[in-house]
Amino acid sequence: MEILDAVFYLFALMIVGSASVVVFSKNIMYSAFALLFTLFGVAGLYVLLNADFLAVTQIMIYIGGILILIIFGVMMTNKIRGVDIKTGVSGKVQVYSAGAAVLVLGITMISIFNNTEWLIKDAPALDATIKPIGRLLLTDYLIAFEAASVLLLAAIIGAAMIARRKKA
Amino acid sequence: MIEQFLTELQKSLSLFKPESALVITFLMTLAGDLIFRKSEKLTANITLIGFVVTGFFLFNECNDGSTTIFSGMLAVDSFAKFFKIIILLSSIIVVIMSLFSKELFDGKRPMGEYYMLITSATFGMFLLSSATNMIMIYLSIEIMSISSYILAGYTKEINRASEASLKYVIFGAVSSGLMIYGISLLFGMTGSLNLLEINQVLATGDLNIVTLTFSMILIMAGIGYKISAVPFHFWTPDVYEGAPVTITAYLSVASKAAGFAVLIRFLRLGFTNLETAPESETWAMISNLDWQFIIAVLSVLTMTVGNLVALWQTNAKRMLAYSSIAHAGYILMAVAVMNDIGTAAVMIYFFVYMIMNLGAFFAVMLISNEIDSDEIEDYTGFGYRSPVLGIALVIFLISLTGLPPTAGFIGKYFVFGAVIDSGLIWLAVVGILNSVVSLYYYMKIVRNMFVRGVELEQKDVHFSPGAIMVLVALAIPTLVFGIYFQQIVEWAKNSVQMFVSN
Repeated sequence: MEILDAVFYLFALMIVGSASVVVFSKNIMYSAFALLFTLFGVAGLYVLLNADFLAVTQIMIYIGGILILIIFGVMMTNKIRGVDIKTGVSGKVQVYSAGAAVLVLGITMISIFNNTEWLIKDAPALDATIKPIGRLLLTDYLIAFEAASVLLLAAIIGAAMIARRKKA
Repeated sequence: MIEQFLTELQKSLSLFKPESALVITFLMTLAGDLIFRKSEKLTANITLIGFVVTGFFLFNECNDGSTTIFSGMLAVDSFAKFFKIIILLSSIIVVIMSLFSKELFDGKRPMGEYYMLITSATFGMFLLSSATNMIMIYLSIEIMSISSYILAGYTKEINRASEASLKYVIFGAVSSGLMIYGISLLFGMTGSLNLLEINQVLATGDLNIVTLTFSMILIMAGIGYKISAVPFHFWTPDVYEGAPVTITAYLSVASKAAGFAVLIRFLRLGFTNLETAPESETWAMISNLDWQFIIAVLSVLTMTVGNLVALWQTNAKRMLAYSSIAHAGYILMAVAVMNDIGTAAVMIYFFVYMIMNLGAFFAVMLISNEIDSDEIEDYTGFGYRSPVLGIALVIFLISLTGLPPTAGFIGKYFVFGAVIDSGLIWLAVVGILNSVVSLYYYMKIVRNMFVRGVELEQKDVHFSPGAIMVLVALAIPTLVFGIYFQQIVEWAKNSVQMFVSN
């Protein structure tokens, strides 16, 4: 188990480290690229949890789709590529209050995760998860699956409406 | 196994007709818009017909024996039916209102998507008011949110509308992110997403209270955002002011109704003892979270902030936005009662709130069609330019204040009655003080329309007969239900029963 622990901490470090680059970098391209490692690290955590389908989906959709879109968006929009985004200081009050908020939230979260008795179930035997997921999606979660398709249709229509040019 | 599943699926589908009708309406509008690009009103007509068919299925839904469908994801019960009827009625009224809107049709804007998105938002609200599973709750909140983000920015060349839409998206994304994190914490403790199973685990009573509170705060951020309760209300004024009036009206009624439906169901199914309690008794809580106190505090904050800030507004739409926050506060007061009487009061209030609020927004829209402004200053003397509209708006505003003989009084009467009945006197006092404050800003409009500007010789304004008809059709019920309210009350009282056990 110790190798697994080490791998977990490796991925965790990768997520937290690259996520801070996303937030604190002044160059939006660096942020976009750092996001790649964050998303990849999350996929790694899924693998450690035996969630193979989720891990592959994470890589395909978030890295293969969304991240590429973000980078294309940044590169094709000349105006924002050169511009430094303000991540820095606007006033001492803001910095201190944000720091205090993060501190309080952090302490709360740590104490929550240490003290709660989480419901722990035995891990099922290691097996591919695609089949049970597919079966559940078409039985118990059928309505959620179908509702999600309505959601996507509405989103596509909305995106088309926003992108549409005004007729002369 | 498959056969058993298929029989259950058939049963589920037969109880799912209203929602199916909505999805079919959605697709028909899409197809109609593609095929007949030229005709202007076609999509609106398809949507209206679809809504009427939905209403037909909804009314014919059997009342007896509430049940769940789709493996316990959705409940079919009289509670959901009541809220669905409110949501459907307000959707129909909003679609009719849209036909008279000038800002929407400015510059030959294609309107197909507008009606499609109203339909999909209505579908999301229908699911939300009957969801008993956290996944369904989250998903249906997303369906209605994403549709309404786009609707809020539908007049996209107007900067204010785009700004409203963007603010709405950002606030919405944050709050739904918080909510789903709260749901995941809850799942981590209870191991289930089904409200009834969560209830069973909570009843054992050995959950960590800090974690439970934390996850509840996060979940309430998601629901509170939908009902625009303080402190999750910051988006409301800007979005309501920037969005087209019809959408503002829609968000302030239908989307709030769905939010309250899910809030009540979440509290009732998740946190109370499910044995049927006597009507007037407070539901027995099974966890050590003091929900009554939490909701009462939220309610006081919501109505006080809403009313006090409304006092300073000079823009009618923005003022009505704050007033709708205040109304959410009054309704939360009835939720805080936490018994069947309180729930019935919420329903009665929603019914009258729907009529009077849609009416007020419709009047504001007609005025802004004429004078191109929502500023209360510009309403000066308008009551003399169009007496019908002036009088109708006065009726709506009196009703919103809650004075007799209007429907608004009946709504307030039952809400305050429920609150006093349960012994929360301090809450009722705060509520009554707030109602007094609200009188001032509602009457500001009336004063500008009728008392000032008599000497200005402005020319009369005539509205189309259709618009006047809709206006009167909203104003008459506002008066009639102020006197003959017995049936509404009966209907609400018979509808409080929720699906509670397997």
